[in-house]
Amino acid sequence: MVKEDETFPCDLIFLSSSRADGTCHVTTASLDGESSHKTHYAVQDTKGFHTEEDIDSLHATIECERPQPDLYKFVGRINVYSDLNDPVVRPLGSENLLLRGATLKNTEKIFGVAIYTGMETKMALNYQSKSQKRSAVEKSMNVFLIVYLCILISKALINTVMKCVWQSEPFRDEPWYNQKTEAERQRNLLLRAFTDFLAFMVLFNYIIPVSMYVTVEMQKFLGSYFITWDEEMFDEETGEGPLVNTSDLNEELGQVEYVFTDKTGTLTENNMEFKECCVEGHVYVPHAVCNGQVLPAAAAIDMIDASPGAGGREREELFFRAVCLCHTIQVKDDDEVDGPRKSPDSGKRCAYISSSPDEVALVEGIQRLGFTYLRLKDNYMELRNRDNDIERFELLEILSFDSVRRRMSVIVKSATGEIYLFCKGADSSIFPRVVEGKVDQIRSRVERNAAEGLRTLCVAYKRLIQEEYEGIYKLLQAAKVALHDRERKLAEAYEQIEKDLILLGATAVEDRLQEKAADTIEALQKAGIKVWVLTGDKMETAAAACYACKLFRRNTQLLEVTTKRLEEQSLHDVLCELSKTVLHCSASLTQDSFSGLSADMQDYGLIIDGAALSLIMKPREDGSSSNYRELFLDICRNCSAVLCCRMAPLQKAQIVKLIKFSKEHPITLAIGDGANDVSMILEAHVGIGIIGKEGRQAARNSDYAIPKFKHLKKMLLVHGHLYYIRISELVQFFFYKNVCFIFPQFLYQFFCGFSQQSLYDTAYLTLYNISFTSLPILLYSLMEQHVTMDTLKRDPALYRDIAKNALLRRRVFVYWTSLGVFDALVFFFGAYFMFENTTVTSNGQVSGNWTFGTLVFTVMVFTVTLKLALDTHYWTWINHFVIWGSLLFYVVFSLLWGGIIWPFLSYQRMYYVFIQMLSSGPAWLAIVLLVAVSLLPDVLKKVLCRQLWPSATERVQRSSSRRAPADAAPSPDRPLLMDPEPRPRRE
Amino acid sequence: MTWSATARGAHQPDNTAFTQQRLPAWQPLLSASITLPLFFCAGLAFIGLGLGLYYSSNGIKELEYDYTGDPGTGNCSVCAAAGQGRAPPPRCSCAWYFSLPEFFQGPVYLYYELTNFYQNNRRYGVSRDDAQLSGLPSALRHPVNECYPYQYSAAGLPIAPCGAIANSLFNDSFSLWHQRLPGGPYVEVPLDRTGIAWWTDYHVKFRNPPLVNGSLALAFQGTAPPPSWHRPVYELSPDPNNTGFINQDFVVWMRTAALPTFRKLYARIRQGNYSAGLPRGTYRVNITYNYPVRVFGGHKLINFSSISWMGGKNPFLGIAYLVVGSLCILMGFVMLVVYIRYQDQNDDDEDDE
Repeated sequence: MVKEDETFPCDLIFLSSSRADGTCHVTTASLDGESSHKTHYAVQDTKGFHTEEDIDSLHATIECERPQPDLYKFVGRINVYSDLNDPVVRPLGSENLLLRGATLKNTEKIFGVAIYTGMETKMALNYQSKSQKRSAVEKSMNVFLIVYLCILISKALINTVMKCVWQSEPFRDEPWYNQKTEAERQRNLLLRAFTDFLAFMVLFNYIIPVSMYVTVEMQKFLGSYFITWDEEMFDEETGEGPLVNTSDLNEELGQVEYVFTDKTGTLTENNMEFKECCVEGHVYVPHAVCNGQVLPAAAAIDMIDASPGAGGREREELFFRAVCLCHTIQVKDDDEVDGPRKSPDSGKRCAYISSSPDEVALVEGIQRLGFTYLRLKDNYMELRNRDNDIERFELLEILSFDSVRRRMSVIVKSATGEIYLFCKGADSSIFPRVVEGKVDQIRSRVERNAAEGLRTLCVAYKRLIQEEYEGIYKLLQAAKVALHDRERKLAEAYEQIEKDLILLGATAVEDRLQEKAADTIEALQKAGIKVWVLTGDKMETAAAACYACKLFRRNTQLLEVTTKRLEEQSLHDVLCELSKTVLHCSASLTQDSFSGLSADMQDYGLIIDGAALSLIMKPREDGSSSNYRELFLDICRNCSAVLCCRMAPLQKAQIVKLIKFSKEHPITLAIGDGANDVSMILEAHVGIGIIGKEGRQAARNSDYAIPKFKHLKKMLLVHGHLYYIRISELVQFFFYKNVCFIFPQFLYQFFCGFSQQSLYDTAYLTLYNISFTSLPILLYSLMEQHVTMDTLKRDPALYRDIAKNALLRRRVFVYWTSLGVFDALVFFFGAYFMFENTTVTSNGQVSGNWTFGTLVFTVMVFTVTLKLALDTHYWTWINHFVIWGSLLFYVVFSLLWGGIIWPFLSYQRMYYVFIQMLSSGPAWLAIVLLVAVSLLPDVLKKVLCRQLWPSATERVQRSSSRRAPADAAPSPDRPLLMDPEPRPRRE
Repeated sequence: MTWSATARGAHQPDNTAFTQQRLPAWQPLLSASITLPLFFCAGLAFIGLGLGLYYSSNGIKELEYDYTGDPGTGNCSVCAAAGQGRAPPPRCSCAWYFSLPEFFQGPVYLYYELTNFYQNNRRYGVSRDDAQLSGLPSALRHPVNECYPYQYSAAGLPIAPCGAIANSLFNDSFSLWHQRLPGGPYVEVPLDRTGIAWWTDYHVKFRNPPLVNGSLALAFQGTAPPPSWHRPVYELSPDPNNTGFINQDFVVWMRTAALPTFRKLYARIRQGNYSAGLPRGTYRVNITYNYPVRVFGGHKLINFSSISWMGGKNPFLGIAYLVVGSLCILMGFVMLVVYIRYQDQNDDDEDDE
């Protein structure tokens, strides 16, 4: 028993409720995010049981399928045994199933019997299916880490071997001044080597930047807030901002090469607008549509054709009734509704709620044409006709919609006892079943509408006599209770029922493009991202939408691989022919892509439909299937845009997978808003959900959710780009600074008899990564904007500069590492020659090993921090504060650390070392010199590269810094006169 | 409408410069036009500094003598041969004669230098007890385990000062004699053995244990000297301010060197006639030869050096500054060429866009 506002603890079969009609309302907000109330029905035979005793007396068995994750599918059977009769068998469907996680609403209490519990519930099964995604940056980070691990081990090995060689001479191993203990002497050589190896590992382990992982996590976590905070991505209309479900993929947004987008609700608004209907060739257009709001006075019909005759009028009314009845809309009273469109109906205000926005648009459109659907009450559908009379139809059967049949039907009985079957569906699924009606006229109209980017549906009917209906009823009932293959049997039954129809007419609904969709797509293409549209829509509609959003241009040459074409030619021929056309000019394309701008070339658009795709994907017996795939991929790679229509959800994921595992391993992004996009969102490297009208399922399963498609532009071009720049610098810098840190230690081993003597004091070892050098890079990785956000948005081509993980490629990594090694050599040997055999203070006193280490460490902290300062292009007060602050902190800490005898320390080796070092003039000079030398190659490389081989980004930086004085912008005009910082200077 | 939107979208972002990533910022650019003058300026400055350092270092005089006593190198080879294979080596003295043709500009510092001596060996470096050296009575009786095998003597007494560093204290001693005129008498040049350790080490870090009945010897009662020492720690010097743990030779020795070849300050020459430097004449250094170095392949050297503001003689810094300075200028010219050659081209590119 579950009471109102309680959450179901497991998956339940709904037996009875406190409501008389045996229904209950639930909200599945926590399951799929849809906050609307859904109605579930109790099992027919048990809905009379209202007390616990009644339930107790119930004797029944339930058979059901194995647990499966699909939330909306369930097949089962209940056998209710009563004392006398044979058991009554009832089918159980998802409407009888109450899912764990859903909440009971508007119903006092219900009784149910648990069928799936614990990990078998659909909720639990769904959570499992989410897989961990890793970004390309993370992958290269791990590769670098392995490289560094190898360096660490080889360093330790080299030193161990050297130590063994070194120790082979006893006067070195154990000079008289440094006797070993008895236990040490007796230790086995191998054991000694092993402990030495471990000791070296401990000494050098700082080269593995453990703190990098912490910093990266922090950067990702904190950085993702900038996405949620972004005001430009906040949608005023819905009051929704972007959502970040995972912060692991921020930088992946800057690496996207393929965007797979859904059409409906993503490119288009999914805000359906009834455009026109066509009955028997007469076209009706409800007008007075103003800003999407229907004016109440718009009941008039604009008749384009001459008024139809009497028979026509009958047909016309039948058509309207058909549209009014053939749907699964629920009517909600106003107070229950939380936001969808209000019907402008006078008097009683109500709203239509449906899983399909087309239906709502249709019913509302028909309302404007005079027929208003009122409600469904006790299996009677009520509607008000033009004469304001209420007509009642008994709802006998609903042959619900599915994407395979692409149609739905209702069987109703009118007040006069006539039984009608109304069928509504896509043109391709209706026309073959039509035996009567003005097919040609309607078809031409439908095709015209489809070409304009409208969504068309055809309506047909069939009159049934009582006997026919009974036959149908039995057929359906048999299929419904089937435990095995219920779906297939149902589909067969539907197939039998929905035939020999009479065509009534067609409707057209406009699905408007999302604002700035075209602009966004254009920007993405300029950024070198390939945009693919994957839709379940039919080819003509989808192509129209693609033209509208500039995915295809006027000069785009369209290549088609469709079922129609495949009927004429074999798949092999088609593919070969296409690849010839495409590859013919790919030579010129590749040449062009060198210059970075291939937008103006002759480009190709590919259109492929689901059937053709499955042919390509289907493995063949002779094993040559991969050839087709390769060929197909080749063609796709050379097309600027690809449109895949008639796609099943799984096929969408298949396509994403195909591209994802093609030989370049490009980074893919899938964006969609509906439940049918979830599979592709989960499959792609980055999944983006649109917080749209079709529920929140996509948003829930995505990595990021945005309110509108247009926000994708800022998401990728600005946030993605910046995050990539930031994190790649973060990663490289961390490895660099740890090389700088540990390599001098390694070198020092050669001068201390390989005795694992540490160059730096323990406090320095510990704090180097934690406090001396951590904050500047963290803040850099949060604040850096090498180019302003406006420029990034204005100039999408800059995105190409970072494509293919450009900043973490092997060359760049080697550069950073060798820079680190060079700097380490400079630090160590600089200090070595400084201290070699001389004194550096004016009082002639000599310094010890800790002064040596402190000098190296000081130079290192300054170099590493200033190197970051050189890389910073965006100096906010925070950067200034953190960079100069951490240097200051180092100095203050060292003064304190060496300035006091710390009573809790057993050794006082750092006492006055730092201060004594600063009292020496040459030490200061050496610090300046060594820092300068360490930074010199990097400065040189930067300047020369910028001058000789400027990247697009660098050009933009230059021109913007030049433009700045003209705009009288505050600072960056002549930094050479007012800027002492880029040089490593210390006062 | 807007109102309801804000009400529902409770997480509507704040519109601050920070959250929108629009904080005012200075955006410097490392371009050739900026770095060119910087390179030239830095180059010139470095060359200037380098020249100064170089001449400053060249003005410093050094005089060095290896008295290890390899066969055939002066009279210390006798001592070296005598000490061969004997522990402890017998007391032995030798001398080094040298003459200064001209005045040796002061102040002059006397260093000893050891090579191939790994004071920076980890096992060696930790073998000390700072608490004991700071005069803590409890630590005096109970040296830390790091001192092992120089923690307790064979008789079970705690060693003070414990540890390998203290045990291996350098124990050669030098005295300097000056013969003003040929054939004249040798006059001893006063060596100032104070002020050779860091002020903080001598005054703060190293402390003797509290005196017992006014006697340092009693304070150290119940401890043993390190095995290599000939006398207990409280007899290192007759001067009460220079004995025990605060003996300056000892303090200097306890600051372990960074590299296996190192120099330690022995004395300053700044008294009497020699405060300005060493006058012309012949000199003799009397060496008490105790310290064995040949067993580990090391050398002992004695070194006279004058000191300037930059410390001892060190040509490295000056040369490095000169090299880096000239590199900067060279790079500056390279960049200038590049800048002039490619400037126009880049401008053209920009115009094209």
